[in-house]
Amino acid sequence: MRHATSQRIETLPAPVQGVARTIFDWIPLGILVVLWELASGAVVAESILPPPTTVSSRIVELLVTGEVFSHLFISLFRIAVGLGLSIFIGVLLGIGMARSKPVENFFDIFLSMTYPIPKTALVPLAILWLGVGTETAILIVFLACLLPVVLNAYNAANDVDQNLVWAAQMMGTDGREMLYKVVFPATIPEIMTGIRQAVPIAFVALVSAELIASNQGIGYLILTSGQIGNYPRMFANIVIISAVAFVAVRGFEEARNRVLVWT
Amino acid sequence: MDVTTDAKGGFDLSRLVEFGKSIYSLVIVLVLWELVGQFELIHYYFLPPLSDIIIRFVELTLSGDMLYNAYLTLYRALVGLAIASVLGVIVGVLSARNDLVDWFFDPIIKIGYPVPIISLIPVFMLWFGIGDLSKIIMVAVGTFWPVAVNARDSTQQVQQNLVWAAQMMGTSDRRLLRRVVLPAALPGIITGFQIAMPLSLIITFVFEMVAGGGGLGALEIQGVRSFQSAQVYAAIIAVMFIGIGLDRGLRLIRSRLLHWT
Repeated sequence: MRHATSQRIETLPAPVQGVARTIFDWIPLGILVVLWELASGAVVAESILPPPTTVSSRIVELLVTGEVFSHLFISLFRIAVGLGLSIFIGVLLGIGMARSKPVENFFDIFLSMTYPIPKTALVPLAILWLGVGTETAILIVFLACLLPVVLNAYNAANDVDQNLVWAAQMMGTDGREMLYKVVFPATIPEIMTGIRQAVPIAFVALVSAELIASNQGIGYLILTSGQIGNYPRMFANIVIISAVAFVAVRGFEEARNRVLVWT
Repeated sequence: MDVTTDAKGGFDLSRLVEFGKSIYSLVIVLVLWELVGQFELIHYYFLPPLSDIIIRFVELTLSGDMLYNAYLTLYRALVGLAIASVLGVIVGVLSARNDLVDWFFDPIIKIGYPVPIISLIPVFMLWFGIGDLSKIIMVAVGTFWPVAVNARDSTQQVQQNLVWAAQMMGTSDRRLLRRVVLPAALPGIITGFQIAMPLSLIITFVFEMVAGGGGLGALEIQGVRSFQSAQVYAAIIAVMFIGIGLDRGLRLIRSRLLHWT
């Protein structure tokens, strides 16, 4: 069916082709939304599954009144700080461990011990130390994002093309200059891959921390909307945070392609 | 260096030295932890001495609390993961082999995969309550995406030459799937499981923390609420064992199943 239709699409005039293909590709999602609209109120009670029309009007309401923005900004702030810290420390740690044996000996055991722990299991510990709020969320985002960044930076710094290093050494580069003029630039693509893996993890960690230990942020808004029975608002906030996560991932991929023009 | 040459006759000292180098930092931190705790340099509530935590861990294990809660967590995570694995592999392989299925699931996967699935916990509490069923379905929904995407991508990448060769020798479609396509896609499918496994634990823990109903997540949060920090640390030690155990287990299964690669 797909094949037959795409052949038919190719017979259309060029400017229409792209649009036709996009529409065709997204029909299944449209079917689901229509089913959802029909099911709500008929098969399932409207209170349990608010129809898409109600949810989308609630999204518009949240955006227009600006009610959601204060929470959204707090959530984004937590992600930005947590992810930023994990990138900074992760890159230092990854490259440090790859280029220096004592550094590796010191940190390796901690990384391999914490690697299999799902980081959200540490939320209660973070509450213990930092209480309920922004610091806890930042700590969890930081911990959850750290490992992908470290692992990718470490592997990349280990695999830096030895010819590059020799060539630079021959021209008199050494020590620290070697690190940030040769090794670091060579690892940037891999670091980007690590960050790409970390971005979705950051959102999962953020929402977890906000559901369990927060009185602000989108996760908190979702939980309280559910608790007070305002289900359209709960669904609206879920759609908003999902859209933000989607845009963040796509935006980062776009940015990476711009930055990594030389690869 | 001279240590290693001395030890040529007996057991391998250089290996011992390497081992010592790799764990000395952990030993230092653990000893510091115990000392800081014993002298109360940091308030007991924040950092109880290591020995207290171990005692609490043993107490909880002997009383059966730890084992029961660990069982609840594992049961929810693994049943959900099993459901997602079956459905994910079916949908993934079919998507790769059938245009119609691919057309239907491709946009759904594109939209569904990036959703921070954790944010749906309040929805699942509304729909299915806070019991085991709700948690299991949540894990199944959350881990479905990585399994399906990896199964689809690895099936798509099966070398067409293999398929052609088998077809030329008269292999039927069903046999082709079972004997050629699935084995060739297996490494990618197992990678999907390896991504999904930690996710299943993440979802279970958070759900248990938010909704209660037993399990290690609930045990931790209960420790925080009753100001028993040793219990929180003890539960995290159990989480670490479970994480390491499952990780090793999957690696073992992988090397068993993929001994031919």
